[in-house]
Amino acid sequence: MTVLRTGTSARGRLPFRALRAAALRRDAGLLLPAALAALLLLVAVAAPLIAPYDPVAGSLRVRLLDPGSPGHLLGTDGQGRDVLSRLVWAARPSLIGGFVPVAIAATAGTALGIAAGLGGRVTEQALLRSLDVLYAFPGILLAMTIATLMPAGLGATVLSLSVVLTPAVARVAHTEVARIRTAEYLEAARVSGAGRTLVAVRQVLPVVAPVILAYASSLIGLSVVYAAGLSFLGLGVPPPTAEWGAMLDDLRPSLLTHPGVAVLPALTILIVSVVCNTLGEALRRRIGDTGDLAAEAVR
Amino acid sequence: MRRFLIRRLLLAVPTLVGVTLVVFATVALVPGDPVSAFLGPGAPPQAHQELTDRLGLDRPLPVQYADWLTHALHGDLGTSIAGQRPVDQLLLPAMGQTLILSAAAFTLVLVGGIVLGAVGALRPRGPLGRVSGALSTVSVSAPQYSVALLLIAVFAVRLGCLPAGGTHDVFGDGGLPDLLRHLILPAVAAALVPLGLTAKVFRAALGSVLAGDLADSLRARGLSRTAVLRHCVHNASPALLTIGGLQLAYLLEGVVFVETLFAWPGLGHLLYDALTARDLPLIQGGVLVVAVAFVGVNILVDTAHAWIDPRVRSPR
Repeated sequence: MTVLRTGTSARGRLPFRALRAAALRRDAGLLLPAALAALLLLVAVAAPLIAPYDPVAGSLRVRLLDPGSPGHLLGTDGQGRDVLSRLVWAARPSLIGGFVPVAIAATAGTALGIAAGLGGRVTEQALLRSLDVLYAFPGILLAMTIATLMPAGLGATVLSLSVVLTPAVARVAHTEVARIRTAEYLEAARVSGAGRTLVAVRQVLPVVAPVILAYASSLIGLSVVYAAGLSFLGLGVPPPTAEWGAMLDDLRPSLLTHPGVAVLPALTILIVSVVCNTLGEALRRRIGDTGDLAAEAVR
Repeated sequence: MRRFLIRRLLLAVPTLVGVTLVVFATVALVPGDPVSAFLGPGAPPQAHQELTDRLGLDRPLPVQYADWLTHALHGDLGTSIAGQRPVDQLLLPAMGQTLILSAAAFTLVLVGGIVLGAVGALRPRGPLGRVSGALSTVSVSAPQYSVALLLIAVFAVRLGCLPAGGTHDVFGDGGLPDLLRHLILPAVAAALVPLGLTAKVFRAALGSVLAGDLADSLRARGLSRTAVLRHCVHNASPALLTIGGLQLAYLLEGVVFVETLFAWPGLGHLLYDALTARDLPLIQGGVLVVAVAFVGVNILVDTAHAWIDPRVRSPR
């Protein structure tokens, strides 16, 4: 409404430039984080072109240089490896740890949520109660417990985080299905002979999908943080591969002597998390808010 | 009210059974033979057989589960492999330390979350509201380990005004002021994520009440701004209770990192040590205790919710 008021010129016409400015202002909240996220993806994809040094090879002669040292813009770690190169290369496993579990959880959670919503009372209760059990664990603890069962690596990170995130998605999907399952168009589809699967895929999925998409996008930041946390605990990508959480752990002993270098992985994860969450929030606002604060709270 | 409580407690039973199943499965499902893993290569077959017998690992899984559960219910969670001490003896003092840290962090969460959320709700479009919104988002996004490292780098290393870890100075009389000084940084690091979330939820709840019919009718009756606000805060408080309870659980999650980085001898630190040593009984016991505490907190929150909001009491 403000757009119309400020945009209307004295002659009652909407000047194109004013409209465009208003639209830009409205979109800035989405475009800025989206651009930053795209930049991040670009860094991950183009890591070999961007990184000035080999991320794994170091030289003990240049151990623990402070940021700004000649030749090493962000300094070097305890093994003399270039921190900038490691941060750049680490974007790959770290972003995979942020994105893949969310994608898996979104798919599995939607399927479970729809199955619970459209199945009989017994199926519904059985599914929801089983998900409640997973809810009874604080997220990172459940992820830790599952990850300890597997050899440390990106696979353990992805699988354990998928299990942690799936119940939350399933709950959102189930809420959405429960809202529409008595709708007349579903009844009409059933009466005209559509089977359960057809109703689920053709009638219910299109309604649930955008909500899940918005919700899942807001989980990516959390997943990045969890994935790095698992690596920090030694449950993720094994050394010497560069990964943000593992770098945090690598540089931890140098914190008291070289705080300038040691805080860099921490800062990187913080910034990436803020970017992902801002983007997720903006997407949720745009695609349609589920309004489900309780579901957000259990992330 | 009593019916609600009984119903809620009964509902928790299957959840708790599920929790014990999952925790038990973490050990039962470990790939490979835990006995050879513990004894290492080159152990005589006798020793292997002896340990298998002692741990009862050759019995069927359901029997092992029943046995483990019976012991757990009696407070016997087995013996820590790395520490060679009963797990419950390790867990109990650690729980006390975690409680101290959580209480301090929870205070920050409530005070900070309410102030930040109220500012946002009262000035939703103004610059103050924008700043509070941005602060909440950054706060929610700030991983505990990042915050912990940054706080140590700034306050302990650069400025040197606060201790970087531990609960008390090594030399000194100890006492409460010393403990509080050591609490500040870990409590802030643990509090930020739940603080931001509380602020967001409280802002949304208070904002919708302030924009609703209740606030309109109070204003129409000529109540002062503060009186209107008081009624509205009262009305928005159930949301605060729910989210506040959930934040307690978050704190339990965040302490793994915070306690490890600040060398705070609590549950999280213990779990980290157990994890690095692959000390399965200790991991199992710690996770079980935290999960049960989590379920307990949820029951408390639901009960308190039903107590202040009669609509929740009646089953659907």
